[in-house]
Amino acid sequence: MILLYVALTFAAFVVLFPFIWMIITAFKQPGTEFSSQILPSKPTLENFKRVFTEFGFVRYFLNSTIVAVSSGVLATLLASLAAYAFTFKNFVFKEKMYGLIIASMMVPGLMYVVPQFAIINKLGWMNTYRAMIVPHLANVFGLFLLRQYMGTIPKSLIDAAKMDGANDLQIYGRIVIPLSLPIVATLFLLTFQFHWSNFLWQLIVTNKENLYTVPVGLAMFKQQHEELYTLKMAASAVSIVPISLIFVFAQRYFIEGITRGAVKE
Amino acid sequence: MRKSCLGENLTAFLFISPFLAIFVLFLGYPLIYSFYLSLNKVTTLVDVFNNLTFVGLDNFKTLFHDGLFGWSLLMTLYYAGLIVPLGIASSLLLAVLLNNKLKFHSLFRTAFFLPYVLDLFVVGIVWTFIYSPHFGILNRILEALNIRYFSEQGFLGNPLTAMPAVVLVNVLKGAGFGMVLYLAALQNIPQSIYESAEVDGAGWWQKLTKITIPLLRPVTLFMVIVGVVAALNAFVEIYAMTSGGPSVNIGGKAYGATWVTGYYLFDTFYVRLKLGYAAAMSYVLLAIAVCVSLINIRILRPKTEY
Repeated sequence: MILLYVALTFAAFVVLFPFIWMIITAFKQPGTEFSSQILPSKPTLENFKRVFTEFGFVRYFLNSTIVAVSSGVLATLLASLAAYAFTFKNFVFKEKMYGLIIASMMVPGLMYVVPQFAIINKLGWMNTYRAMIVPHLANVFGLFLLRQYMGTIPKSLIDAAKMDGANDLQIYGRIVIPLSLPIVATLFLLTFQFHWSNFLWQLIVTNKENLYTVPVGLAMFKQQHEELYTLKMAASAVSIVPISLIFVFAQRYFIEGITRGAVKE
Repeated sequence: MRKSCLGENLTAFLFISPFLAIFVLFLGYPLIYSFYLSLNKVTTLVDVFNNLTFVGLDNFKTLFHDGLFGWSLLMTLYYAGLIVPLGIASSLLLAVLLNNKLKFHSLFRTAFFLPYVLDLFVVGIVWTFIYSPHFGILNRILEALNIRYFSEQGFLGNPLTAMPAVVLVNVLKGAGFGMVLYLAALQNIPQSIYESAEVDGAGWWQKLTKITIPLLRPVTLFMVIVGVVAALNAFVEIYAMTSGGPSVNIGGKAYGATWVTGYYLFDTFYVRLKLGYAAAMSYVLLAIAVCVSLINIRILRPKTEY
């Protein structure tokens, strides 16, 4: 039994080691990151201060927040509206359309990068928040999750509401969404997390510093200041704080989404 | 009757239309347009639509003879060949360890799962620092154990270890994901099966290999797909850690030890501005992904019941 705890603690240490080392380094004096001491001899907050005052990370955080929150809200809204129709309405080509949409999950994400870039270019959306948000608003996986969940809501509930004269928008807003709240929360969090760490797309549609998101800002910082390790680690540490906090409090929603998603396969 | 049917269709359409509009414009149309792009020569990032020269299947022909592309497919296969077994082994190990009556159960689960939700680019930056030659922490630990192999080039600068080092980062980051799936499957196995096996005198090793692993087969197959997709989409970790290098010399030509197709695609598109050629490449990726999915469906369909 003790062996089990030792094994688990060791595994946790291995998995978390990069983050522990990142935080330790972030508190070291610049230039001492490669000294033989493991812990900082004179811990300092200087690195964190410089990240926010000398470099544009305040702005990058603001951009990331704008992009991740609005993408999360809009993608969840669009997917839930569509899922409502696919679950409770009958219409022409319903299952064919659904099958086609779901089949698109097979396509490797990298495939979209070149043509989406050309389209954003054509629309004149380069260097806008729109370019960062809109192309990813049709969340196919989200549609799948929500339809699966809404399918468990008893049809009798919907019929009763119809008898009372409620229209579809009222049924959607007052019955279906409140009953689907856990999975709606899951979808919002997954989209938020995806956009917070989305790197490649935000890199190619922006080339103005005031529009950089955190990972893009970090990449540019890395390019220009390869040798400023303590600052790089401080910036990295700060950049994962929001997701880590959300995760600690809402872990079960993430796990819910992942297990439900895998069951389909 | 007709009228209400029309009304039903109309309301349904209104509910779907926002999603559908985005889907068509940014997911459906790009697939078709990408094919059209692959038949053209494009050498600009500005106003792509008006700068196309039709070249027919030339891009695909060039691709076929492009040694660097063949190499990149090989490296992608290598990536997949490493991440699939390592990913499955690490996830399964964590799940089996956690599937006991434990104090701090949820604390351990949180610790293992946390890296999965964090930003891969950031994780790559931190590992680059850990992997540094000479004074990098990992090399210093190994030097203390008298292993000096990594002192000069570090882990990412050595062609032999660069790819395993990159993959290890992804394995450790993703282990919690597989663990969650395996845990859910483990908890679905009825305890009675183990009890009757014990009656028949089975030890823990026999229980693991004869009961647990066969019953986890659906999750394992799913993990294979996840690994292959990760290899096909591998880009961010390469960009953060190696930029496709370090270079290896084979027959007088230089190749990158981590030059996977995803990175080659990015390089072709964003650095060398050959959009048509990159689009042709992406169609090869699509073909591979579709094949893998079809094989997956074939293998999974008849055997999922348990």
